[in-house]
Amino acid sequence: MNGEAMRDQWYPVGIAAQLTPAGRDSLLLGEAIRIACDSDGAALVTDGAGRALPVITRFGHVWTTLGQPERDLFTIPEADQPGRRLVDVGTVLVRCSPLRAVENFLDIAHFPFVHTDILGSEPHTEVQRYEVEIRDDVDEVWATKVSFYQPQAAKSAQGGINAEYMYRVPAPTCSVLYKTCPARPEEWDVITLFVQPLTETTCQVWPWMALFDEDSSMTDMIHFQQMIFVQDRSILENQIPALLPLDPGMEIPTRADMTSIAYRRWLKRHGYTYGAQLVAA
Amino acid sequence: MRLYDYILSPSCYRVRLMAALAGIKLDLRAVDFHPGAEHRGPELLALNPAGTIPILTDGDLVLTQSTAILTYIAASHAPEWLGDDSPAMRAQVGQWLAFAQRLTDSAGAARLHDMLQMPGDIVALRRSATRTLRELEAAISAVRRRGGIFLVGDRPTIADIACFPYVALAPDGGLPLDAYPSIRLWMRAIRGLPGFVEMPGIHRLHELLPEPGPQPDVIRKERA
Amino acid sequence: MNWTPAALSQDIPSGSAAPGQLGDKDIVIWRSASGRIAAWSDRCPHRGMRLSHGFVRGEFLSCIYHGWRYGDGGQCHRIPAHPELTPPDAIKVPVFAVTESDGVVWVAQKDAEPEAPPPGLAGFSPLRTLRLSARPETVAAAFGGTGLDLRGELGGCAVVVLIQPLPDDQCNLHALAANGADTATLDRVSAALEALRRQAETAEEIAA
Repeated sequence: MNGEAMRDQWYPVGIAAQLTPAGRDSLLLGEAIRIACDSDGAALVTDGAGRALPVITRFGHVWTTLGQPERDLFTIPEADQPGRRLVDVGTVLVRCSPLRAVENFLDIAHFPFVHTDILGSEPHTEVQRYEVEIRDDVDEVWATKVSFYQPQAAKSAQGGINAEYMYRVPAPTCSVLYKTCPARPEEWDVITLFVQPLTETTCQVWPWMALFDEDSSMTDMIHFQQMIFVQDRSILENQIPALLPLDPGMEIPTRADMTSIAYRRWLKRHGYTYGAQLVAA
Repeated sequence: MRLYDYILSPSCYRVRLMAALAGIKLDLRAVDFHPGAEHRGPELLALNPAGTIPILTDGDLVLTQSTAILTYIAASHAPEWLGDDSPAMRAQVGQWLAFAQRLTDSAGAARLHDMLQMPGDIVALRRSATRTLRELEAAISAVRRRGGIFLVGDRPTIADIACFPYVALAPDGGLPLDAYPSIRLWMRAIRGLPGFVEMPGIHRLHELLPEPGPQPDVIRKERA
Repeated sequence: MNWTPAALSQDIPSGSAAPGQLGDKDIVIWRSASGRIAAWSDRCPHRGMRLSHGFVRGEFLSCIYHGWRYGDGGQCHRIPAHPELTPPDAIKVPVFAVTESDGVVWVAQKDAEPEAPPPGLAGFSPLRTLRLSARPETVAAAFGGTGLDLRGELGGCAVVVLIQPLPDDQCNLHALAANGADTATLDRVSAALEALRRQAETAEEIAA
């Protein structure tokens, strides 16, 4: 298998509140798994041979691994602040590399064209310089001081704002976005993209959010995020090649793509290459 | 008029699109279809025992079939969308509304299977959808030979609106539209209608707007 | 190599783009506002997005993903994320040779442009393109001919059926009918093409 290092990672495989004793079949890194719960509602994940896999329940989702992770699943301390509403957005299957799904989540330049009049609009297309680093102490990719003009940044936003963002990649198929919170300017909304790699070219995407928003209904918040993600889906299923190219010659980045450049470099450094293409075909 | 709506449902989108094109504002009530399965909860089952959305309520009237809702919106607010009242055209519009159900049952079911992992024999669904899309392609090519582009008559009708969403979203179910040039031009004509609104998975016609602002060399000169 | 028929001109009106193929290569065929036809690799060099999903404004084709704008020769002219930047010459979409004659769009590899023009189709007008799941030889046999340029009669009308081979045992049929045929005749030809497709696909299934 491409990307052995990715076996030793935690992956989302279901919404904790929606497990059933009957369970359901799925894939993880191309291998069969089954997700169910016991009579007390506790998550049970088994591999193709019926052996129990390690389980963590966090951020409203069930996480498992096929390998031996050196570290605990990452945390999002901000999400524990009182007053946040935790939103299980649901899941969508996408025929794309799990790594392409994360890279798209890290990208802002597509907002005016793919999320038109919601997260961006012409002529406000310019991406200002921002800061990107691979934080060696925590081994995460971070992009900070990102800002972009948005006509309707969140369900709770009225009219356009210059939204501020921070992006964090704590695991190869997970990203956390901290974004201007319209209801509480001093806090960040937390919007995540958790990706379950089914195969190298198909993935199950589980967005999750922890928001300060007292006005919107839960359903409205879910629908807003589903709308955004499904707008991306038709892009993600039409990129060639389907695998994320790590060969620098294959695709042409610009300054607006610094987060993606750092993400690809970090993937390559760690051998997180399940869903990646190392040399041009 | 209140619409029990789900942003990702092509059947609900039929209604939103029709209302937008007719210039009517709907009172949208978002239904947590996924992941909450609210359409199978007590409140909505009381309105529609079939457990499906959209549901349109207008006073005491409750409508639960999207194509019937299109008929109602058009008849009450925008009768030009019904086509004229000649026997042939009435029947043709009715035929396309029934055809739209075949799209829902094939391409729509393939999409639910591929996106939300609903059960279904995906090979059979795609085969059935391909037959349906080929029929539509042949029909639109015949219309084009007569100088038209819309399904019935010389202007768009509820027949076009009923068929459009599941066709445009067919790629979501693993059914590329590359092989259907007449369908592509028909979709383009619908997307270009004044008042058109998109849904996730259907992009706006960005070509309808001019390229914004001056080009790079002009901007640099101005800032210098 | 010869020219490959890739589309009918009537299916790519000014200001639009469509997906096409040349052998196993995905291409975008698009026509500018002023009517210039072009065939390019169907891949934006930035992030690999299919350009056939993009949009045409004036003489430029833009990628739907980030709005990168390409003009004559595949050259990138504008990157909306950096409005001030003049994109380097190196940012270019690979282009294919393209020519239009008798209402058919023909394409070829840029470095292997055929010396001979595409076959003459005088006396015929484009009717429609159909995709089918059968090999070219199966289609030709069902038609009662050989090769990729089939001439004969369908639905009581003289026709030319150009076969465009595609990967995975598929092909496109670009059909033309005799000039001046009335609408009822053209409807019969169209129905006969559908019948030809059913016949070829059934033969292909039996062969498999």
